Amino acid sequence: MSNTQSENLSLNEVCEITVISKDTIIKIVEHGIVEPAGREPESWQFDMPMLVATRRAVRLYRDLEIDWSGIAFAISLLDELEGLREENKSLLMRLSRYENNPGQS
Amino acid sequence: MEFKDYYKILGVDPEASNKEVKTAYRKLARKYHPDVSEHKDAGNKFKEVAEAYEVLKNAETRAEYDEVRKYGAQGQSFQPPPGWESASAGGNHSASNEDFSEFFSSLFRNANQQPEFDDVAGRRGGFQDWGGSRAQRGQDIESDLPVFLEDTLNESTHSISFQIGETKKTLKVKVPAGTGNDERIRLKGQGAPGPGGTANGDLYLRVRLVPHPLFDVEGHNLIVVLPLAPWEAVLGTKVEVPTLSGNLRLTIPTNSQNGQRLRIKGKGLPTKQGEHGDLYAVINVVVPAANDAGEKTLWEKLGEESKFDPRAEWRKSK
Repeated sequence: MSNTQSENLSLNEVCEITVISKDTIIKIVEHGIVEPAGREPESWQFDMPMLVATRRAVRLYRDLEIDWSGIAFAISLLDELEGLREENKSLLMRLSRYENNPGQS
Repeated sequence: MEFKDYYKILGVDPEASNKEVKTAYRKLARKYHPDVSEHKDAGNKFKEVAEAYEVLKNAETRAEYDEVRKYGAQGQSFQPPPGWESASAGGNHSASNEDFSEFFSSLFRNANQQPEFDDVAGRRGGFQDWGGSRAQRGQDIESDLPVFLEDTLNESTHSISFQIGETKKTLKVKVPAGTGNDERIRLKGQGAPGPGGTANGDLYLRVRLVPHPLFDVEGHNLIVVLPLAPWEAVLGTKVEVPTLSGNLRLTIPTNSQNGQRLRIKGKGLPTKQGEHGDLYAVINVVVPAANDAGEKTLWEKLGEESKFDPRAEWRKSK
């Protein structure tokens, strides 16, 4: 077992792991798609969700043929959509607990 | 092998212009891209669409495909024409195309198609394909890891199985206590093997908390709906309340209201820092049906004596 979950990664490490170029990652950060800790690229620290978000951004950029600001916009809408879907799912689940009322036979 | 009608896949006419092909691809990519789509077969649909576009967007490969199409479109089972060799072939097999169909590889084997190379590693491939000319390593793989709420109380070990090409792989994964929904776990080197002995890809697991029959999750807090009889809510009582780690006795204060939340400290989900969220019991007063004559009499008596007006608010606003 080799879980590497809570590691913080530098820009170079992210490049190595994801096989994405430094310039691309800098663009992704400049567009606010991923917001690593640290001010300068040399001191950036990425966590696991950022690594995953970076990979997704590159996939979308590559496959949808949209420019980076379009990708940033799409991703913020997709994240919002996913949040709403999750919320909706959990509210429906909560609602069902009231609708299947045990006493009202 | 099955013949693939790339025009049909993209929903365009065989006479379609390059621009029309591009538009059709973009529309379908937005619809079926696995990072965007909720469609249950999105990954495969997208792969098909990407493969069709890979061939049709390039004049040279499109012309070659059109030749083959004349020859093979009618048959149920397709074989490339005898002596067939793609003119655009050359160089190494593009890693980014390794996810494409057998039909594709039979036509464009060794095809070195990496046009429009930009600053991103590789051109398109199927979902989860992280290959590309610079990607001298195996594909990364993404998968969901269902975890029960009970399993998040302590570190838990999960056995997962997944398919890489022809091989089925089984792994044991440790999930730390306090792991939440949507968290990612990266297993270094557990993705697809790298071509020609290069490094393996990684495996990314996304933790999905399995919905519980009793508890809902709100951050690190848990919510349980607590059904009470009307007299229990009014008079107060002590009830057994389930928690993730066994039952607890909870005091219901007198005059409790429907929807009121009673906090049970520290009985929620653990955090990574070893703290715990709380459990909230939400009161749901359940009204029994008065089928029994004796019960009915009691309700009637209460109705006569009570000064309670459930619709007082309506009258106030008049």
